[in-house]
Amino acid sequence: MHSEMTVHEHHLDSNSTDVFGFWIYIMTDCILFGTLFTTFLVLNAQVQNGITLKTYLDLYDVLAETFLLLGSNFTFCLAILSLYQNKLLRVQAWLALTFLLGASFVFIEVNEFIHLATEGFSWDLNGHASSFFTLVGTHGLHVSFGLLWILMMIIQLPFLKITPITKRRMTYLGLFWNFLDIVWVFVFTIVYLMGAL
Amino acid sequence: MLIHLLFGNLTLEAIPFHTPIIMGAALFMALFTFAVLLLITITGNWSYIWHEWVCSVDHKKIGIMYLLLSVLMFLRGFSDVVLMRTQQAIAAGSSLGYLPPEHYDQIFSAHGVIMIFFVVMPMMFALLNMAVPLQIGARDVAYPYLNSLSFWLTFVGAMLCNVSLVIGDFAAAGWLAYPPLSELYYSPTVGVDYYVWSLQIAGVGTLLAGINFIATIIKMRCKGMTLMKMPIFVWSALCAMILVVLAFPVLTVTLALLELDRMFGMHFFTDFAGGNSMMYINLIWVWGHPEVYILILPAFGVFSEVVATFSQKKLFGYTTMVWALAVITFLSFVVWLHHFFTMGAGADVNAFFGIATMVIAIPTGVKVFNWLFTMYKGRIILTTPMLWVTAFFTTFAIGGMTGVMMAVPPVDFQVHNSLFLVAHFHNVIIGGVLFGYFAGIIYWFPKAFGFRLNEKWGIWSFIFWVLGFYLAFMPLYVIGLSGFMRRTNHYPDLVYQPYLIAAALGAGLIFIGMVLQIIQVAVSIKNRKALRDHSGDPWNGRTLEWSVASPAPLYNFAVLPTVRERDQFWADKKEQAKGAIHPLDLHYQPIHMPKNTPAGFIIAIFSGIAGFALIWHMLIPGIVGFLGILSTVIAKSFSTDTDYYIDADTIRKTELAHIKELG
Amino acid sequence: MEHQDAGQPDYGTGQKKLGIYLIGVLSCSILTLISFWAVLSSQFTKGQIFLIIYSAACIQFFVQLICFLRLNTQTKQGQMNIMSFIFTGVILTSIILGSLWIMSNLNYNMMS
Repeated sequence: MHSEMTVHEHHLDSNSTDVFGFWIYIMTDCILFGTLFTTFLVLNAQVQNGITLKTYLDLYDVLAETFLLLGSNFTFCLAILSLYQNKLLRVQAWLALTFLLGASFVFIEVNEFIHLATEGFSWDLNGHASSFFTLVGTHGLHVSFGLLWILMMIIQLPFLKITPITKRRMTYLGLFWNFLDIVWVFVFTIVYLMGAL
Repeated sequence: MLIHLLFGNLTLEAIPFHTPIIMGAALFMALFTFAVLLLITITGNWSYIWHEWVCSVDHKKIGIMYLLLSVLMFLRGFSDVVLMRTQQAIAAGSSLGYLPPEHYDQIFSAHGVIMIFFVVMPMMFALLNMAVPLQIGARDVAYPYLNSLSFWLTFVGAMLCNVSLVIGDFAAAGWLAYPPLSELYYSPTVGVDYYVWSLQIAGVGTLLAGINFIATIIKMRCKGMTLMKMPIFVWSALCAMILVVLAFPVLTVTLALLELDRMFGMHFFTDFAGGNSMMYINLIWVWGHPEVYILILPAFGVFSEVVATFSQKKLFGYTTMVWALAVITFLSFVVWLHHFFTMGAGADVNAFFGIATMVIAIPTGVKVFNWLFTMYKGRIILTTPMLWVTAFFTTFAIGGMTGVMMAVPPVDFQVHNSLFLVAHFHNVIIGGVLFGYFAGIIYWFPKAFGFRLNEKWGIWSFIFWVLGFYLAFMPLYVIGLSGFMRRTNHYPDLVYQPYLIAAALGAGLIFIGMVLQIIQVAVSIKNRKALRDHSGDPWNGRTLEWSVASPAPLYNFAVLPTVRERDQFWADKKEQAKGAIHPLDLHYQPIHMPKNTPAGFIIAIFSGIAGFALIWHMLIPGIVGFLGILSTVIAKSFSTDTDYYIDADTIRKTELAHIKELG
Repeated sequence: MEHQDAGQPDYGTGQKKLGIYLIGVLSCSILTLISFWAVLSSQFTKGQIFLIIYSAACIQFFVQLICFLRLNTQTKQGQMNIMSFIFTGVILTSIILGSLWIMSNLNYNMMS
């Protein structure tokens, strides 16, 4: 009843295990966003005579945000490609571009929130507003956290170099960043486009 | 200004100096803590405790720490029981008892929260940590550092709940804190905030542990162990963790939304301005129902292991057991409305969920019959774990039946929120979950600590627990049926009093049972040399954890096993293959191990600071807490000194020592 | 491990190729533009807009899964990833649809 797993195999196996674990975390985040979406839909259905998002909506802002995030998704994938080609400087460059695009997204979103609040559509107005700010805000917070992570990777890569460990971390970040763009597809469809009707 | 930024709403008035019961409890907690710290200082063990336990990433140690936490919190949760049972026994007719309603409300709320979140959940993770990696032939869980973090986050959540007793108050809105009662207007004190933040912090710990164990079970099984060759306990752990991972995010969101209502005046669950209180109840039970299955599935797993071992027969119907677990896992997500049949849904909705609830009893029944068939024609050894199993069969069956009764909406309309309901869920949680976890703890105790627990004290504690349970809860079924509602601290009709006195006596018997358990542990520690488990296999077990020494060595297996069938260890014993391997003949490789780290503990402490700060609106400590968490995570990510190798010589020496002890 | 990048761990994602990423970003851009155009130009009925934007969102969802997340069934880990994803999806659907059903039922019975 004995067998030996070589040290080399163990390392490879553990990286695969680690990414699977992160994938499961992404699944939990799906449930998190799903619950927020459900709450939004339920509270949305109740607004009859109250004030809604429609009055304050600027869809061109949302279009810009969407392309910024989509663009950052693409540039991150380019960073991954460079990572597997072992070109450290290029990875940092693509990551920096990803950061800029993502930061612009957050900038527009924060501005939009401030504008909405000063116009009277604040989060304590009614259930519809609360769920809007919480759903979109939670996505924005995730993106902000992702930006911090991207920044950390840019700083960390020259120190730790491109190793299986840093490749694994970039894979996590890639899953996270891609996932956020997917959630945004549903956000702009269900919250903004539906809200404009 | 600075005072306000530092202390927020916290003032000395938060400490209830004029409530003697609380001050007594506070004094007791302070003395206990002080005694423990003093003991560690006197014996000069700070370095040992810090390096070997606080910083440990070893699943075996983390399992023991979870167990200690749950035992500690059991004492607090049970003191709530004593208070409630004595109050209800005396507060009949013109007597109002000694606990005013505001105090009583906090007690039953704290009782529920502590028992579920800080007693049975940690107990479950104790069992999972103690057994799963060993049963699948792995060296540790998939993420040892996260394992440590999960424990410490749970610990901090529990401590925050304990602090609420002394500084401020706790939620008085029930263990699920329904709005609008839990909204700021009706609960203006910090109680509900304590509730939210201690559960959020512990909830993150639980979620991470769920991810950890799924990855471990799916990816780290030893060679040859396909999913259908795993022990059933591992299957039950996998299903429970799938439930954790899918249900806990819902809890996180729901509690967060409640807190947003309270902190920022949002309108998720308010009854005006477009909020909807029922949405909270809907969401909290979307989490709440899977939660109870999270608790019971590992208990089912324990029963499968214990019944097979102590009937000396392989488990009957392995495939149907797996099928039953999978079906229960899925179905537990489509029954949640049965917790609020009476709250306004139409007949169609009620009917759907009622039928689904009844259906979920079927796979459970399959499991019970499989256990009985395992015992049939087995050579049964009635050890204490096996005693707990036999008590489970009857007790859980009764609890399950009352559950199926309440699954019928018209019946539920009669008994919802009565003591009938209270008796039902205690019946299944105590008779199912607790009896199962007790069996599991006694069963795996030798593996974790190296010596068995004293059987005699075990049997006596079992007798008092079971008698006490029936005396405490059967009367509640009766008066629940005649209309006695839950959460009442006083009642005018004297006809109920004899039943409640009986229930109080039952609680007293359980208390004796608990004392006997403590004595059992103390006596066993004193006699540990006599009770020593020399072979690593005290019960003549069937699964891999019994193939290593007790306690298991740091690296679990010197050489990772290969498995060809279920219960491989049992098969090997029969072929006497194990005795054929000489340690001197084996070629040991150095073993790669993760290094201990204080990061889990530090992050949890900062989370506690942040949580406390959020509760009392203390801006600077809050920022310190969040920045602390962030910087620890980032700093750790830069660290490359995270692992080491145990050299082959040390392994050989350890294995030789074990072979020698085998005799 | 039958993975094309020999010696690389099996993350359950497909091989990374520039071409697939480009197809992805172009398809997503087109689908996004279709959705926005459907709403901004006033030539569709409400029902038609619903259909267009939801279909576009669903298609874009799959495009992102396949092109960016690179989910596939070729490796064992990929299959495991997809299975866990489908199970999450099933549960999420039951939570969302169940909640919407319950809440609208409650609203109907209790609020009129």
